[in-house]
Amino acid sequence: MEGAVFTLPLHPWLRKAAWLPTAWLVAVCSIDPGVAQGRGQASPAAQPPPPTTTAQQYPREQVDAGRVRFSAQCGFCHGRDAAGGEGGTDLTRSALVAADVRGDRIRPVVRTGRSDKGMPAFTLSDADLTAIVAFIHDQKAQAESATGGRRAVDVADLQSGNAEAGKLYFDSACSKCHSPSGDLAGIARRLQGLALLQRMLNPASGGRGAGRGPAPATVRVTTASGQVVTGTLAYRDEFTIALTDQSGWYRSWPTRQVTFAVDDPLQAHVEQLGKYTDADMHNVLAYLQTLR
Amino acid sequence: MVIGGVNLGASLPRSVVTWTHGVAITLALSGPAMAQGLDPAALLNPPSDSWPTYHGDYSGQRHSRLTQITAANVHQMTLAWAFQTGQTQQIKATPILVNGVIYITTPDNLWAIDARSGRQIWRYTYPANDGFHIGHRGVAAYKDLVYLTTPDAHLIALDARNGTVRWSVMIADAKKGYWSTNAPLVVRNHLIVGVSGDFDNLPGILKSFDPETGKPQWTFYSTPPPGTEGAQSGGATGGQMWMTGTYDPELNLVYVGTGNPTPVLNGPVRPGDNPWTCSIVAINPDTGVLAWGFQTSPHDTHDWDAAEVPVLVDAAFDGAPRKLLLQASRNGYYFVLDRTTGKNLLTTPFATVNWATGVDALGRPIPNPAKEPARDGRLVAPDEAGGTNYRSPSFDPATGLLVVSAHDAYGIYFFKPEHGVYGWAGADYGVHGRGVLRAIDYQTGKIRWSHDLSGGAAGAGVLTTASGVTFTGDSAGSAIALRTSDGTTLWHSGIGRVGNSPVTYELDGRQYVLVGGGSALYAWALPTSQ
Amino acid sequence: MTARTSLIVALMAGAALSAQGTLPLTDLRQPLRDSWPMYNGDYSGRRFSELTAINTSNVSNMTLAWVYRPNPGAAPAGGGGATQVVIKGTPVVVGGVLYVTIPDHVWAVDARTGREIWHATWPSRGGWHIGNRGVALLGRTVYVETPDCNLVALDVRDGREKWRTEICDLEQFYYASAAPLIVGNHVIVGVSGDDLDIPGYLQAHDPDTGARQWRWYTHPEPGTPEAKTWPSVDAMMHGGGMTWGSSTYDPELNLLYLGTGNPQPVINGRKRQGDNLYTESIVALNPDTGKLAWYFQSSPHDTHDWDATQTPVLIDGDINGQPRKLLAQASRNGWFFLLDRTNGQNIVSAEYVKTNWTKGLDAKGQPIPDPAKEPQPDGALVSPNQGGGQNWPPPSFSPNTGLFYANATRAFSVYYLYENENDEKPQGWGGNDRSGWSEAMLQAIDYKTGKVAWSHKWTGSSSVRSGLLTTAGNVLFAGDASSNFVALDAATGNPLWHAGLHTSLTNGSITYVLDGIQHVVVGAGDSLYAFVLRGRP
Repeated sequence: MEGAVFTLPLHPWLRKAAWLPTAWLVAVCSIDPGVAQGRGQASPAAQPPPPTTTAQQYPREQVDAGRVRFSAQCGFCHGRDAAGGEGGTDLTRSALVAADVRGDRIRPVVRTGRSDKGMPAFTLSDADLTAIVAFIHDQKAQAESATGGRRAVDVADLQSGNAEAGKLYFDSACSKCHSPSGDLAGIARRLQGLALLQRMLNPASGGRGAGRGPAPATVRVTTASGQVVTGTLAYRDEFTIALTDQSGWYRSWPTRQVTFAVDDPLQAHVEQLGKYTDADMHNVLAYLQTLR
Repeated sequence: MVIGGVNLGASLPRSVVTWTHGVAITLALSGPAMAQGLDPAALLNPPSDSWPTYHGDYSGQRHSRLTQITAANVHQMTLAWAFQTGQTQQIKATPILVNGVIYITTPDNLWAIDARSGRQIWRYTYPANDGFHIGHRGVAAYKDLVYLTTPDAHLIALDARNGTVRWSVMIADAKKGYWSTNAPLVVRNHLIVGVSGDFDNLPGILKSFDPETGKPQWTFYSTPPPGTEGAQSGGATGGQMWMTGTYDPELNLVYVGTGNPTPVLNGPVRPGDNPWTCSIVAINPDTGVLAWGFQTSPHDTHDWDAAEVPVLVDAAFDGAPRKLLLQASRNGYYFVLDRTTGKNLLTTPFATVNWATGVDALGRPIPNPAKEPARDGRLVAPDEAGGTNYRSPSFDPATGLLVVSAHDAYGIYFFKPEHGVYGWAGADYGVHGRGVLRAIDYQTGKIRWSHDLSGGAAGAGVLTTASGVTFTGDSAGSAIALRTSDGTTLWHSGIGRVGNSPVTYELDGRQYVLVGGGSALYAWALPTSQ
Repeated sequence: MTARTSLIVALMAGAALSAQGTLPLTDLRQPLRDSWPMYNGDYSGRRFSELTAINTSNVSNMTLAWVYRPNPGAAPAGGGGATQVVIKGTPVVVGGVLYVTIPDHVWAVDARTGREIWHATWPSRGGWHIGNRGVALLGRTVYVETPDCNLVALDVRDGREKWRTEICDLEQFYYASAAPLIVGNHVIVGVSGDDLDIPGYLQAHDPDTGARQWRWYTHPEPGTPEAKTWPSVDAMMHGGGMTWGSSTYDPELNLLYLGTGNPQPVINGRKRQGDNLYTESIVALNPDTGKLAWYFQSSPHDTHDWDATQTPVLIDGDINGQPRKLLAQASRNGWFFLLDRTNGQNIVSAEYVKTNWTKGLDAKGQPIPDPAKEPQPDGALVSPNQGGGQNWPPPSFSPNTGLFYANATRAFSVYYLYENENDEKPQGWGGNDRSGWSEAMLQAIDYKTGKVAWSHKWTGSSSVRSGLLTTAGNVLFAGDASSNFVALDAATGNPLWHAGLHTSLTNGSITYVLDGIQHVVVGAGDSLYAFVLRGRP
């Protein structure tokens, strides 16, 4: 699998991630795992989850211990069976889990959390972590041999739209920033199904391959003395505005002491959410699926 | 298990109580050298040197009479102390303060802290178990006991002075899928406890126990099991009552919000309104009998619990004084009910909503079938996290504002028959959300002001005080104080994500505000000379 | 080097990097205002800030601006289990960014808000993870030592590794914890290692390439008169004298000052009769060549593990009406020394806590150890104990009050010698102490006389290890024995304000001004707390 060459700077898509060992980079850059190439699978049965790349065995006691620990710490969000719960992803379909070898990718995520997705960090002992890793792999192995699409969203499910109507909508609502032969050329080869839909609705959150794309928010700050500083937005809340300037230096100011303007190209996506009908949404998706 | 007489010299049961160095053990054995425990009658009018129950008092307004900290001086607040729990788990519990001792919890853990210095007095740890450790709302207090619910749905009674376990009972069967995060409610001689359970198709239960002995008194079913009297939920289970209720002593009614039906996203398999899921129910605390119910989300298919706080306000409505119940509900709608009868007086959105076609004659939003989860997905506002959630709101009588930690959000909801009929039975994904604090005029539902919280949904509840100050936390890791009348920020501190609802009390003539930041508890007060 | 073994870095903000830089700090001799650019703040080691916005009349109005709790994420490769975070170093602040460390980890944090900017993790090969005292910073580079004997240079903007070089031999049970010091074009690093009998040394590296420039062993050259303070060359070459404390520097004299660690074997001194130079000494070195200029031994022939690694604080004061260039150390052995820092001449030697282990002072002003108070097979009751009157938490000197502040412990313990067949060649520790009683107090020492001007006893638990900070606002910041962060009047010792943080407060606090607001930052347990004086929200 082609991964980023691991020398920094990091891929701008990964701006928000907190912990990125090589393997993690590779996993995140992958294409949505739950989906085969092309569209229009005849059977409504689900696509299989991404296969585990490295076979691994775990003793039964470890898996059982892991079931208990997983349920307590992870189950609310990821489901008692690791197949998805309140807000957390289905780990049995996760590309990261598929690529994991004995916890080398799972552990860092558990220990650091994923604050942009709402997952906190967990301080767990080595033994507990190992058991949890064992349980996740065991659950995944079971899911691989099972049939049916319990709680999966398949490409086939998302084919209710009309591509022509979608193109018309695209031209009126999206073409100010996007072009089918420009930035979106071949988008349907890079993303399919749910991942493409999520990215279409809001590139900044949700779905594999999520990230801001080549469109960081920028900010222009004017200090009290009249100095103007510009850069990519590094942080913003009610009290502080921060940017990374062209030379890579982090600069921050109290919002009260400066004037500033933020230009976020993704804001248009957020505003669009209140404008789509569900039919519009499916139509635009259908249109995007033609861009291969 | 040690019951009654305490022998601290003996080895402790598997559950662990740890002592802080230097505390005199004989103190506990010889009887209360400290003040007496909490008289449940005090809950009717809690003294200002206490916060004796989850909401502060029975009304759920989370509004304090204290005025030492004002809009003019709140920016001068200094840190009196910080208590680190040393865990990664966030503090989501409301601290309970009784007799100068603060009780604070995380799943399996209960700390007793000196409210003046922030020093730990004792700590109790429940043995490891596999219930969901998603969070905990805090203890209840009654006489010389404090009560802890556990992830595996047990109820523990501990000696408030030293953390010794007096008794432990099962609330519900954790093996079936129940767990508990609940801060119980004490009403006279009833200890009322709720549970959670969304991943299995489970009847919704609220139980009352004898606070001295732990003997069960009654069980109320929001979704009675088939065959039980009153079973009318149309095949739905769920409706868990996982948040603490409020109480009107005159009417002798406990008000509780109930959770969503299960299976969660699969509506077709449970046709009809599915009472009493996603409802506000009024229950007699002595018998557990339902007086009335009102559904905020009939036939919910979006996981929109109505478990939010049912805030009790005695105020004018349409020119006449009325006993009101206010709820800013998860589904994005604000409801005003007459709490005597459950009659709806007002229903209007307070956050972005797109899922209802209107409001019916009973005042309930009419769900748009086109916004039910579907095979190809539906773009729904709010998302599964809701227009608000467990974060306590606060009612300020001076301005007539209900201040709510709200969330304008979109999600996509999926369901197909292959998803089955059990548990979640579907999939949903958040698309975008923005946290915003909203001040709702209680009579009209109009938004007087909105204050952006710099991120997604916040984790903090709201506290207002009689001096016109609102305390809460934003979504970027700061605790903030605002002017209640217009939402202007007056103070902030970057203590980390505020995950609980602030409380305030006065001790030794000094007003303290307690806020949880990350996994630590922070105590603020105006400076003294030392 | 594969990607896996390279330094792993996480970035919180997108960085477009180019050759040009802004805000590089190149002159490290600034007074302390908007930055805290090195471990002790500046080269003097006084930990005294010129800032006056916070002062005795308003310090009680300080409020908490932010808390930062570093998350180490995955455990380092060399360790097992989850990494515990205890902040034992001093953060460095330059250009509005704060840098804080624990072993194997460096975080860059917005000094205004406590929000993380980047986090760099070192995949460890081992070494004792006792603590890390912090980074050094120059221009576009941040330097840190690792427990597994590396000096690592990171890009200050994003934590990316620039180079690494080994500074000690992990196989020989060396490890590294000190904060480097940058003097001119030298990155000066110290090492640790008490378990094998190995020689201590200080060395300097090129800041751009990491190439070693010089190494100075803490033992004399064989054949010199100073070498006669050891019974044999072999004993001397295995004599310890580690260099894990913090150095100070006088740019006019171009002299680097350091206190050295204890001799080896630690407790059993029977096979190393003699003063054992240059263990437990204050030494002055030329930073360009590493050559020794002078030495003064705080504890000749020590057998109590009393490293003299405490900060050699540089004071420009006056003695008998004459302006003098001075150096002061409150040493672990309970004694306060004032020297002329041009030549090492002793001016004052005085106890800052009562001790019982000396027979008096020699001609050089150095304490003479009483043989009866050396460790004995049946135990000797000694004060101070092994932890000492002072340890690694840094002291402070205020030129306004003329007081040298030491957060001190007065303690007794019983020192035992292990007797066995290997008596011929004791190794490693050779003994130990068992603690008895102790009490903690903040000593304010008149530097000219060594007399304790006032002593503020701490109540609560019996020992306190907390660093100190003083300011021109006349405030002294300290941690007390109950884990409160306390502000006292630096002239009188009167406590003015405190916040109960209830967790270990060992390192020194720092202060800096940003946006016109004075910040005081202290580490307690696993978090950094930033206090400010704020007139508005």
